[in-house]
Amino acid sequence: MFLTNTVFKVKENPYLKEKYYYIHHKSGLDVYVFPKKMSVSYAIFGTRYGSIDNKFRLKGDAEYTEVPDGIAHFLEHKMFENEDGVDTFKRYAKYGASANAYTSFQLTAYLFSSTSNFYENLDILLDFVTHPYFTPETVAKEQGIIAQEIRMREDSPGNVLIFDLLKNMYARNSVRKEIAGTVESISKITADILYRCYNVFYNLNNMSLCVCGDIDPDKVLSVCDSVLSVSPDIEIERIRESDKPEVHRPRSEKKMKVARPMFDIGIKNAFIPEDGVDRMKASAVMSIVSDMLFGSSSDFFNELYEEGLLSNNLSLWSENNRDFSFFTLGGEADEPEKIFERFTSHMEKIKSEGLDEKQFSSFKRVQVANTVRGFESTSSIANGFLNSLFDGGDILDYADILGNVTVEDANSLIQRVFTERNYAMSVVRPVDD
Amino acid sequence: MQLLKKAIAEGITLNVIPADKFKTDRISVNFLTPLNSEKAALNALLVKVLGRGTKSWPDMKSLSRALDDIYGTGLSDHNYKRGETQIFGFSLGMLKSEYAVDETDIMSEALKILSEVLFEPALENGGLRTDYVETEKKNLIDDIKAKINNKSGWALERCVEEMCAGESYSVSVTGTIEQVEKIKPEELMEHYKSIFKNCRIEIFYVGNADVDRVNGLIKNLMVPLSDGVKVPALSADVKRKADNEPREITEDILAKQGKLVLGFRSGSVLEDPDYHMFKVFCELYGGSPTCKLFENVRERLSLCYYCWASNEAFKGIMLVSSGIENTEKDKAQAEILRQLGLVAEGDFTDKELENAKLSLCNGYKEIYDQKGSLEAWYLGRLLAGREDSPLENVDKIMKVTREEVMQKAAGVSLDTVYFMHGTEEADTEEGEDEDVSD
Repeated sequence: MFLTNTVFKVKENPYLKEKYYYIHHKSGLDVYVFPKKMSVSYAIFGTRYGSIDNKFRLKGDAEYTEVPDGIAHFLEHKMFENEDGVDTFKRYAKYGASANAYTSFQLTAYLFSSTSNFYENLDILLDFVTHPYFTPETVAKEQGIIAQEIRMREDSPGNVLIFDLLKNMYARNSVRKEIAGTVESISKITADILYRCYNVFYNLNNMSLCVCGDIDPDKVLSVCDSVLSVSPDIEIERIRESDKPEVHRPRSEKKMKVARPMFDIGIKNAFIPEDGVDRMKASAVMSIVSDMLFGSSSDFFNELYEEGLLSNNLSLWSENNRDFSFFTLGGEADEPEKIFERFTSHMEKIKSEGLDEKQFSSFKRVQVANTVRGFESTSSIANGFLNSLFDGGDILDYADILGNVTVEDANSLIQRVFTERNYAMSVVRPVDD
Repeated sequence: MQLLKKAIAEGITLNVIPADKFKTDRISVNFLTPLNSEKAALNALLVKVLGRGTKSWPDMKSLSRALDDIYGTGLSDHNYKRGETQIFGFSLGMLKSEYAVDETDIMSEALKILSEVLFEPALENGGLRTDYVETEKKNLIDDIKAKINNKSGWALERCVEEMCAGESYSVSVTGTIEQVEKIKPEELMEHYKSIFKNCRIEIFYVGNADVDRVNGLIKNLMVPLSDGVKVPALSADVKRKADNEPREITEDILAKQGKLVLGFRSGSVLEDPDYHMFKVFCELYGGSPTCKLFENVRERLSLCYYCWASNEAFKGIMLVSSGIENTEKDKAQAEILRQLGLVAEGDFTDKELENAKLSLCNGYKEIYDQKGSLEAWYLGRLLAGREDSPLENVDKIMKVTREEVMQKAAGVSLDTVYFMHGTEEADTEEGEDEDVSD
């Protein structure tokens, strides 16, 4: 039933009651189909190309190309315009799909959700992403729009805090740069540079399609057959600036129109496993540790809350991928330095005592339950899958990996990572302080 | 899928929305009361204090751990308004027991916790704990102050405050700082007792558990209120037309981007049998990436990143908001109004009309995949005295005509223009930053 040049595989997780089909399409594209009886069918078509890919070449090229910051995001916006002048949203509108796209540090993704006409919409998705069309005029128009997107983020204290923190943690890693770039950097973008980036990164061998919903894999493949041509086999070489293991600087401070001081504490983790499965395991350990040490039932949070030092849950993020790894905890507090001090003394205590094994198991169970919850919607499955896939993992394995993590894994991570030289903090203070 | 209603007691209803596609169940208990400035802060503070601890789990840590033990059950409080009704309460998100690795009956255990949160709060000397009341007052005040952190949300709220000054709808569901400050623990305790007498209580269950079982569990949960509650009249004072010439308000705030909000009286509310016609207009004008505002204010004039129209179905308000360069306010405002006029004159293609309908219908069908959206849909419907499903609306929407859309557009009137003028120099970029020294 499948065409030549394709590899076909089924993977199932009986506990989650989920499965997917994997097909390597002859065009070079990897296709993943999650059948799921839901109202919404969802498709996401992504390329391994994000804001940190700003210096690269194709194997065999003499020189590296260095591009202005924010170009992956700019390209994402520009893909929605087509040579015939009909923008992509209009094409989708005919079939009632809700379409969008996003750019992160490491990937660009185009997606839609629809409750009917799935294959017609899929045809549009594959078609517009494989047909770039940029002119000096359309680039100029987009500079105005994205400039306002950048201004909006500059006025958002949460966004300022996290990027200040990344700048504090990393001296050279491009994760320190705003994904959308700056008004100045995007002014340097031209149609030619967009084509250059497109031709390198939007090669089907560098991309994947993930669809989830009430979907027939055969029909997905026939859409691929009719829209996609074979991409040449290429090898992309990306320059990653090496960063020091410890933080670049411990503090930064800005003033903005906010009600009270806001902070983000970061813990940089320089121990990133090479292997994708090992990295998933490390991510699992990190998410349990983050929840257990700083979550709503942690001693740390509850003490600070009861003392009136914190008024809301900390916002927690643990990130771990091949290019960067860290924990962050953010919130509002009259005295951020005091929170930071309490954080360091709390960690010293944890390091000397170690984690309680029984409690660890309970937090592990919560994380497994949260993973199950992630399989309730077609959009969270498709997005979660693509992000994990691009980092060498597979979300269908994540619940089992979590289940096998031990308290020793967590204690050893804590001993290695939680030391003063890996800590940084960004603070935004009220302008009228 | 058919909504099932079960009377639990006078004024207390269980609404069951059967759905078998999820891995979790959702239960929410909602207290409905007229929005008024005397009580808003008390309601807001009450849910926070009740969430602090109960008789068996007297502090947040023990309460959180108890929830963790039942597979990370989520317990969250809510407090919002629909029209001039304040809705507050709690909701539970529970993993289905089939995913448990032991015999835990997650729903029964979760309801035990919810029961204590509602009916057996942590007490001292027969009253609510003073320390909990005082810290939650401070936290609530911090939250009220923190609204300024989100500039677009701030601009929307300021527009509504100005537009509806003197109407209940302008009351914030958190109350004001002054109102929160003066609340005494005894007063909050009295208020706590009163919500069990004077609020309508709507309970929602979304999931596929046996209806009789859920009904039994909820009856059991509500035993303390088996005598029923006295249901207040809930309605909004709807102004179908702006009274006067539009008012313009500009405020300076330290920010790089200006935020423009146009407040309209929409002329339509959910109680109207032809409300779906207004929804089609709103989608065509400002609801999707093919709408008039996106296409013209953003794509053609390149003025903004976002420009949307949102509507409040119970009070009859439509807000158009956009983030723009400070110098472009007049140009953006003129275009937003010009597009409205064009829609009222019928200056849109049949294809644009069809696209708006399809987009709206897609959104309605998507509701079936989200428990929270299903609940919000039916809770809204019951406030408007109707029970029609999203799918029933799909059929009606597809029949809406061009003339009906024009008529709805013509029924919209501009009331208030709010502009948050950003006073921060936009280009004080700190160049690419400095000192990379190893």
